[in-house]
Amino acid sequence: MTQKYTIKSKKTLGKVLTVVKWVIMIFFAAYTLFPLIWLFITSLKTNAEYFASPFSLPAVPQFSNYVNAMVQANLGQMIFNSITVAVVATVLNILVAAMASYAISRFKFKGREIIFALFSAGIMVPLNALMVPYYTIFSKIGLLDSLNALRILYAAIGIPISTFIIRGFMDSFPVEIEEAAYVDGCGFFGRFFKIVLPLTKTGLVTAATFQFLTCWNEFVYANLLTSSPASKTIQIGIRYFTNQFTTDYVSMYAAIMIAIVPSIVIYMLFQEQIISGLTAGAVKG
Amino acid sequence: MKVNKEAKIGIILFLLPALILFIAFFLFPVFYVGVMSLFDWNGISNATFAGVENYKDIFSDRVFWTSIRNNIIWAVAHVCLQVPMALMMALILAKKPKFWKFFRTVYFFPQVISGIAIASMWSAVFNSEFGLLNGLLRLVGLDSLAKNWLGTPSTAFPCVLIYGLFYIGYYMVIMMAGITGIDQEYYEAAKIDGASRLQMDFHITIPLIKYSIMTCTTLAAVFGLRTFEQVFLLTNGGPANRTSVVVLYLYNQMKDNNYGGANAASVMLVLVGAVVIVTIRKLFTLKKD
Repeated sequence: MTQKYTIKSKKTLGKVLTVVKWVIMIFFAAYTLFPLIWLFITSLKTNAEYFASPFSLPAVPQFSNYVNAMVQANLGQMIFNSITVAVVATVLNILVAAMASYAISRFKFKGREIIFALFSAGIMVPLNALMVPYYTIFSKIGLLDSLNALRILYAAIGIPISTFIIRGFMDSFPVEIEEAAYVDGCGFFGRFFKIVLPLTKTGLVTAATFQFLTCWNEFVYANLLTSSPASKTIQIGIRYFTNQFTTDYVSMYAAIMIAIVPSIVIYMLFQEQIISGLTAGAVKG
Repeated sequence: MKVNKEAKIGIILFLLPALILFIAFFLFPVFYVGVMSLFDWNGISNATFAGVENYKDIFSDRVFWTSIRNNIIWAVAHVCLQVPMALMMALILAKKPKFWKFFRTVYFFPQVISGIAIASMWSAVFNSEFGLLNGLLRLVGLDSLAKNWLGTPSTAFPCVLIYGLFYIGYYMVIMMAGITGIDQEYYEAAKIDGASRLQMDFHITIPLIKYSIMTCTTLAAVFGLRTFEQVFLLTNGGPANRTSVVVLYLYNQMKDNNYGGANAASVMLVLVGAVVIVTIRKLFTLKKD
């Protein structure tokens, strides 16, 4: 009797736990999605509709809000700036990090682990605390208020993470393949371009995805180092609306959506890479 | 690989760009704030040696202490609330319930969106006139609770702090990766011994992903210390500096042309960060013995 009783209560407990589990899972999902969806819906309403009720649906979707946002804050220019900054900084960063990773991963020389440890420690440096030196460096070399400052800075600050990811991928395939090429007379540079880079493509894409998102999303230094409208990035564009006492809420929400959508699209396209990049870092601790 | 003469030159050439950028943007700046924190400098005229004056100045500034306190609350809240919640979700999703990939994707969203966009979204949520939060409260008849969330001293800091706590995707993915790496034999053995799923979680999974948990704890503490965008956008430190954080403090010092003070604040941030990282590492390796 008692045996039966405990089994039964265990089953009920299991059911309760399952329900609790789903409630929690849905809570966290709703918490993330609800404000985003609300923002998107609101960005398609008229201001009058929004003021009347924050929860109503738009009678007619107002895509003109997006046009307004683009025109008012000159978002087109900013998006273009963000793209060129992110692309240049990512290419530069991945090239530099891949070169360093190749040297560290494929050759034994004095100090290689020290250099790698140093790079890895860079991940923990609070970059936000380095505003004064970064500002001073770029003012000394005359690059204040220039997109090139952001390109160089972003390429540099991504080096620790990119090297970490790319080296991990390079370490994971055997040296034998290159040794065969070496015997065939393929030199240091040839092996890098013809063998190692193609083989580590996944690692490069993973690091590049992280790097691109970091560049696209960066705000602190874009805000500190640029001032004229011609050199602003999309994240600063959001500030254009929140900075002033705007009454055009719906256009502001449209601007926020414009900054968010590319990040989400890239995430959807490269989700596996992003997850595996984090995985590589975590396993090594 | 053998290092012949060509490879020697190659190694140097290939390391050089990364090293130059690393020295210029990591080593030099950290060294620079350390040295320059001992100088009085307004950014234009020549810097004059000031000894520990800058430190004395910021230590006697109440706003600096408010900022430090807020950063510490921030770091502690993320370590003690966000990381455990992420661990719980990692344990749940690692068992691959229905739609687990969908949930993982959704939980990770805030991680790929810029901090400034997320903060702007929450500023719309907290907006006193037309915000989502007050709208919800009015909808369920709790009009009396609706307020100017970010303008009221008692609610401003909790609002700025809390919204990010429930974005658990980043840490969850790191810990899920740790769980995937665990040998299935442990679970099979435990199953034979009649262990329940909850027991397996506590006695097998959690001890075995200790290093993933340590990584997350360290990151949570470090991110808590370097917070900036949320505060900058939502309250800019107000009302009455109640919500200020150290990075905002040093940003404002810089805007006031007090570069020495800003550098002293930077040094404090780097030091506190280093101490926190070392302490967490010690705590986690101590438990092992």
